[in-house]
Amino acid sequence: MAAGEIDVRLENVSKSFDRVEAVKDVSVDIPRGQFFSLLGPSGCGKTTTLRLVAGFEHPSAGAIYIRGAAVTRVPPYRRDYSMVFQNFALFPHLTVAENVAFGLRMRRVPGPERARRAREALAMVKLEGLAERYPRQLSGGQQQRVALARALVVQPAVLLLDEPLGALDKKLREEMQVELRELQHRLGTTTLFVTHDQEEALTMSDRIAIMRDGVIEQIGQPREVYERPRTEFVASFLGVSNFFDGRITAAANGSATVDLGFGQAVLSHRGTVGEAVRFAVRPEKVRLGQISTGGFAAQVREIVYRGVTTHIYLDCHGNEVIVFLQNASSDALAWRIGDAVAFSWERDSAVVLDRG
Amino acid sequence: MPSSSIAADGSPLGDLLRQLRSWSLVALPILFFLIFFAGPLLYLFVVSLLEPSQTELYGTNVTLQNYAKVLGDEFYLRIIQRTLLVGALVTGIALLIAYPVAMAIARMTPRWRIIAMIALMFPLMLSNVVRAYGWIAVLGRQGVVNTVLTQAEIIDAPLALLYSIEAVVLGLMTILLPYMIISIANSLTGLDRSYAEAAQSLGAGPLRTFIHVTWPLSSPGVAAGMQLVFFLTLSAYVTIALLGGPRFSLLVSMVYRSAMAFQWTFSAALAFVLLGVALGVGALIMLVLRPGRVQGRG
Repeated sequence: MAAGEIDVRLENVSKSFDRVEAVKDVSVDIPRGQFFSLLGPSGCGKTTTLRLVAGFEHPSAGAIYIRGAAVTRVPPYRRDYSMVFQNFALFPHLTVAENVAFGLRMRRVPGPERARRAREALAMVKLEGLAERYPRQLSGGQQQRVALARALVVQPAVLLLDEPLGALDKKLREEMQVELRELQHRLGTTTLFVTHDQEEALTMSDRIAIMRDGVIEQIGQPREVYERPRTEFVASFLGVSNFFDGRITAAANGSATVDLGFGQAVLSHRGTVGEAVRFAVRPEKVRLGQISTGGFAAQVREIVYRGVTTHIYLDCHGNEVIVFLQNASSDALAWRIGDAVAFSWERDSAVVLDRG
Repeated sequence: MPSSSIAADGSPLGDLLRQLRSWSLVALPILFFLIFFAGPLLYLFVVSLLEPSQTELYGTNVTLQNYAKVLGDEFYLRIIQRTLLVGALVTGIALLIAYPVAMAIARMTPRWRIIAMIALMFPLMLSNVVRAYGWIAVLGRQGVVNTVLTQAEIIDAPLALLYSIEAVVLGLMTILLPYMIISIANSLTGLDRSYAEAAQSLGAGPLRTFIHVTWPLSSPGVAAGMQLVFFLTLSAYVTIALLGGPRFSLLVSMVYRSAMAFQWTFSAALAFVLLGVALGVGALIMLVLRPGRVQGRG
């Protein structure tokens, strides 16, 4: 296996349905072994993009490659991938073992080897005992594992996952996230994962593409897209952000002083004086202190205890500012509604956003 | 209400009352079914086991001679054979025509699907007698087909199109086709497209997707359609009589004829042979198609 090989490549792919552009000029490279997520709200084009790779839809423009082979005009059954569907799509008339062996049967793998590999795949997802059951006799979590075994047993170049955890309840979903990630690490299967759940994308992915209105707004590692969001959409879709607007009053050596109306902030930003800027600060990066500690003055409006964290909502001259405090000590719980406070952040925590 | 307070407390008495109440909803239909269907059927079965009588409706001695007469006589065996043949032809041809049509309907938008379904129901509103006479007007000696062919000088003398097995099969098929299409279309419409897509993603082309996934998953609709068409063929007396002519007989014609000849016990036995044919073929369809698989049963 050559390192750095590209298993999935989308080149300027667009797709229109009845003159509505669902996917617009999307280009993506997924290197071998990577867990790549398409994240976005419903209708953003992420599922259409996945279906283009699967071959269930055909692009209006652009080219698609799977492991170097141009598949743009190739029907789904001749493409080297397998897929886990949102509703699992297990064949109800076949047993678990027959479901798992289906792909091998279609590839004309001889009987004994087929049975052995299906058995191994079921063992891999810890369902050896249920081979002779029918899908409807299984729980949601078990069906999910069967779907995964059925997809992985054919050793695809790419594994496509269409919100496969969406049908499960929260606790099971979190368990399956870790399990799926472990399995993917162990097998090294290149994976394209579609989800609308930002936490899921952050947990599972090596790289995330955030989509909106058919366009990829940002691609990067989870930490990169979370900490350095490029647009307001990314900053608000991925986690929670405080947004501030201001005008640059002084700029020098890659830093800019911005007038916010209620105070001055210094940002790491190359700008020109007079330029209007919008920037984001994550709630967990905001520090909270007594008025005497310095910072922007505000008043505590609401306090929400969340177990691991406490969320404090501040009113700063009519702007709402959210602060997440760790409940590591009881400090966070010392604040009261109506308290006058001061808040601030480290200079690098403020991320200037592209003007859209 | 006192009864609801008793029913709500979960005591054994409450449970009993609740059960009685839910049974009371079906009690009337069950009673009706017992009095007007199960009872007479049992009575008819008893009659089929009695000796014929010259003076009474039936004799008093229990005998198998009525059945022996049906199953021991080559004439009747040939009629059973022909009944099976007509049933198989009508059902088989209807299936071949209906399946692609049903697939097309299943792919329509909901709006067009409703329009297509109503269009399919439409012919069912017409009396079978009227439709049989329609076919006579088309296939008869002076019918449309013969007139056109003679005047075009393709044939010299009119063809004997009517009063044949082909005419009967054609007539029955056109009447019964909608049942088959609607049954299969319902089954296919309910199928999530992700099943076919899953098959394709696992390397199955269109043909193998059909054989391994679409066909078995539509088997409840196919089985229901085949049974409906076959059973209705068995009892389609009017169409068979009008399009088959006086000398073309199926089991149902013989039941009618022997009853009209006051051979009550023999007629009863024929009716039960007909029922046996229906049950046998119905079971065979279930056995071959195994529609229960789709619900995950073996």
